[in-house]
Amino acid sequence: MKIALAGNPNSGKTTLFNAITGKTEYVGNWPGVTVEKKEAFLKNSYQTFNTSVRIVDLPGAYSIAPYTGEEAITRDFVTGENPDVIINIIDANSLERSLFFTTQLLELGIPVVIALNKQDILKRHGDAIDSNKLASLLNCSVVETVANKEKGIKRLIEVAIETASSKSIQAPPDLDFNVERNEDNARQKFTSVIVKECHVSNRDTNEISLSDRLDRIVAHKWLGLPIFFLVMWAVYAFSIEGVGGFLSEYMNEYIFGEIVPDAANAFFEGIGVSPLLQSLIVDGAIGGVGAVVGFLPLIMVLFFCLGLLEDSGYMSRVAVVMDRFFKKIGLSGKSIIPMIVGSGCAIPGVMATRTIEDINERRMTTILTPFVPCGAKIPIIALFSAVFFPNASWVGPSMYLLAIIMITLGGLLLKKIFVWENTSIFLIELPEYKIPSLKHATTQMFKHAKGFIIKATTIILVMNTLVWFMQAYGWNLRPVAMQDASILASFGGLISPLLIPLGFVGWQLAAAILTGFVAKENVVATFAVLLAVASEDALHLPGGVLAGIFNPVTGYAFLAFNLFTPPCFAAIGAMNSELGSKKWLFRAIGFQLGVGYVVAMVISQIGSIIVYGETAIGFGSSIFVLISIILLVTRLIHKSDNKVKQILAEASEGGI
Amino acid sequence: MMLSQAKAGQKAIIQEITGNDKLKKFLFSLGCSEGQEIALISILAGNYIINVKDSRYAIDRKMAEIIRIN
Repeated sequence: MKIALAGNPNSGKTTLFNAITGKTEYVGNWPGVTVEKKEAFLKNSYQTFNTSVRIVDLPGAYSIAPYTGEEAITRDFVTGENPDVIINIIDANSLERSLFFTTQLLELGIPVVIALNKQDILKRHGDAIDSNKLASLLNCSVVETVANKEKGIKRLIEVAIETASSKSIQAPPDLDFNVERNEDNARQKFTSVIVKECHVSNRDTNEISLSDRLDRIVAHKWLGLPIFFLVMWAVYAFSIEGVGGFLSEYMNEYIFGEIVPDAANAFFEGIGVSPLLQSLIVDGAIGGVGAVVGFLPLIMVLFFCLGLLEDSGYMSRVAVVMDRFFKKIGLSGKSIIPMIVGSGCAIPGVMATRTIEDINERRMTTILTPFVPCGAKIPIIALFSAVFFPNASWVGPSMYLLAIIMITLGGLLLKKIFVWENTSIFLIELPEYKIPSLKHATTQMFKHAKGFIIKATTIILVMNTLVWFMQAYGWNLRPVAMQDASILASFGGLISPLLIPLGFVGWQLAAAILTGFVAKENVVATFAVLLAVASEDALHLPGGVLAGIFNPVTGYAFLAFNLFTPPCFAAIGAMNSELGSKKWLFRAIGFQLGVGYVVAMVISQIGSIIVYGETAIGFGSSIFVLISIILLVTRLIHKSDNKVKQILAEASEGGI
Repeated sequence: MMLSQAKAGQKAIIQEITGNDKLKKFLFSLGCSEGQEIALISILAGNYIINVKDSRYAIDRKMAEIIRIN
C-alpha cells in the first residue's frame, strides 16, 4: 500500500513523515525545505493492519499546476504513480488557501484523507474549525492533528489505511460551473463557502501581531543585516570557539591525543606486531580519523544551534533582508535558502536551488552556494583557529563574513561575465515565529553526529589508510626513510609549484588539498597523518606542528583556499545534476577554482606585507598570476559586452 | 492604484493582477486574485509584507507593482 503526503509548503508534511516513519529528514520552519520526494515504510508502532505501508513525502505545492520545478514533482507523482490514498496536510491556520489545492486533489479520483494540522496554534489563536462539517462538505475524512507533538497521528493513519483498503473512488468536489465559467474561480467560490460554514474566527488577521512587530525589527532596512550577522556570529563563535570548541579541545587533547593512541600502542607492543603495522593503525587510522572525530562535539553544538534557529521561523526573514542585496547581483532572496541549507552540507544546498524559477538565478546560486562553509569544513576552520589564533573568537565567524563578501563579489563578477536579465520575482511565505523545539534541535544534532561518525569511519578511514601508505612507501613499494621520497610526496610535488604564488610551500599542503576534494574533513586527517612523524604532540595544540609549514597569515589564506575552491566530489556531483550541462559545470568549477586561488593569494601576499612588513614567498609569481587573471577576466567581460551589443543591434534592426 | 503605492496598514480589495498568465495563476493559488481582500502589513527592506487569506507573505516591489487595488 502506498500513502502520499501532499499539501502546501510549510504545512508540516515532513514533520508528519518523520513521525510515522521514524526517519529524520530535514525539516525547517520555512517553505520549500523538501525539494524531492522521499519514501520510507511506516513505523511498526503505527502499523495497525497486516500490510506493508509505504509513505511518500512530496514537496509542498500551492496548486497542481506547477510554478517551480519541485511543484512539478508533486503533480507528476500524484497523477502518475497512483497512490492508494493521499493524506492532504492542511495548516488549519491557512484553511482557505489550503483548500484550493485540496479541491484539485479531490478531482483525481484517489481517496483523500485530510490532516487538519497545527491545531495547537489554531487553539492559541482562539479559532475553531468544525471538522465534521468540513468532512461532509468535502466528502472525505478529516482528522485533527498536531504533527510535531504526534497528536492525532495514530488515528490519521488508521483512517488513511481504512480508506485505502475500501478501494472507494473519491467523489469530486461539488464545484459550480454554471455561475463561474472559469474553473479556478469556481474553486475559489467553493472554498470560500466552505470556510464560511466551518471556520469560526474572532480575530482579524490583518491586525499587527507580535510576529509583525518582531519582523519590523529583524527585517528592518538598516538593522536587518547587522542583526543577521550578529546571530550568525553568536552561533559560530559559540560552537567553534565556545562550548563546542572547548569540548573538542578536550577530545583532541586527551582522548585522541593521549588515551586512545597510548592504549593502542601499549596493546600492539604487548602482542608484538610489526612496528610498520602498528604505525599504520595508530598513526594512520587512529591518528587521522581521531583528528576528525575529535571535532564531533563542535559539530553537534553547531547543528543544535542551527536547529533552534531553523525552527524559530527566522530564516524566511533572512531571505527578506537579503533580497534587496541579492537583487543587485542578479539574484533574489530565494537564493538565500540554498545557502542556509548549504551551511549544513553543500549537497542538499545545491539541490535546494530547484525552488528558484529563473534559470540564470538558479545557475548562479548553484555556483555560489558551495562558498558557504559546510559542516565538513568546520574541522579545518577549528583546527587552524586553535593552532594559529588561540584565544581569538573571531576566526570562525570571520570565515562566514568572508563567504558573504565573496558570494556578493562572485555574483557581481558572474553577472559581468555571463550577462543576464534578472526576471525573477520574489515571494516567500512568512510563517509565524515560534519558540524553537528542543526536540527538533536534538534530533538534528544527533542526525548530523551520526552522519559525521559514519563518514569518519568509512570514507575518511579508507582515505587515511591510503594516505598513510602513500607517505610511508616509495614507488618501489618499499618503506621510505624520509617522507619526501614517498609516493604521496611525488603526487603533491606535481601540484605544489602551482601553490607558490599563494605563499604555500611544501608537497604536504598539496597532498592535503587533494584529499580534501574527496571529503573536506580529509584535510585535517591528512595533516594528522603526515605530521605524526614530525611530532608526538596533538595536531591542534597552539603553535603546534602545523606552525612548521604555515604562519598565521598563510594559515588563514589556506583556510580561505579550502573554503572557496570547488567542494568535495559529492557536491560537484550534485552541481552537475542541478546545472544539467557539462559546459556549465566546467564554468562553475573554473570559477570556484579561480576565486579560491585569488582570495588565498591576496590574503597571503597582502596580509604578509601588512602583518610582517615583508612579502611572502612567491610574491613575484603572484603578481604575474594576478595580472594574467585580470587580463583573462577583462577579456571575458569584454567578449560578453560585445555579444550583448550585437544582440541589441540585431534587435533594433529587426525592429525597424 | 497599485499595491506598491499603498501605505502600511492599508486594507483593500484586489481589482486586477496585471502580470503574465503564469504569475497570475500562481498568485491565484495563494488566494491573491481579483475581488479578494489584501492588507499591506508593513514595508520592510524594500519588500511588501502582505496578508492574504490569513497568511503572511513578503513580496518584492516588482510583484507589488502588478497588483491593482482600489
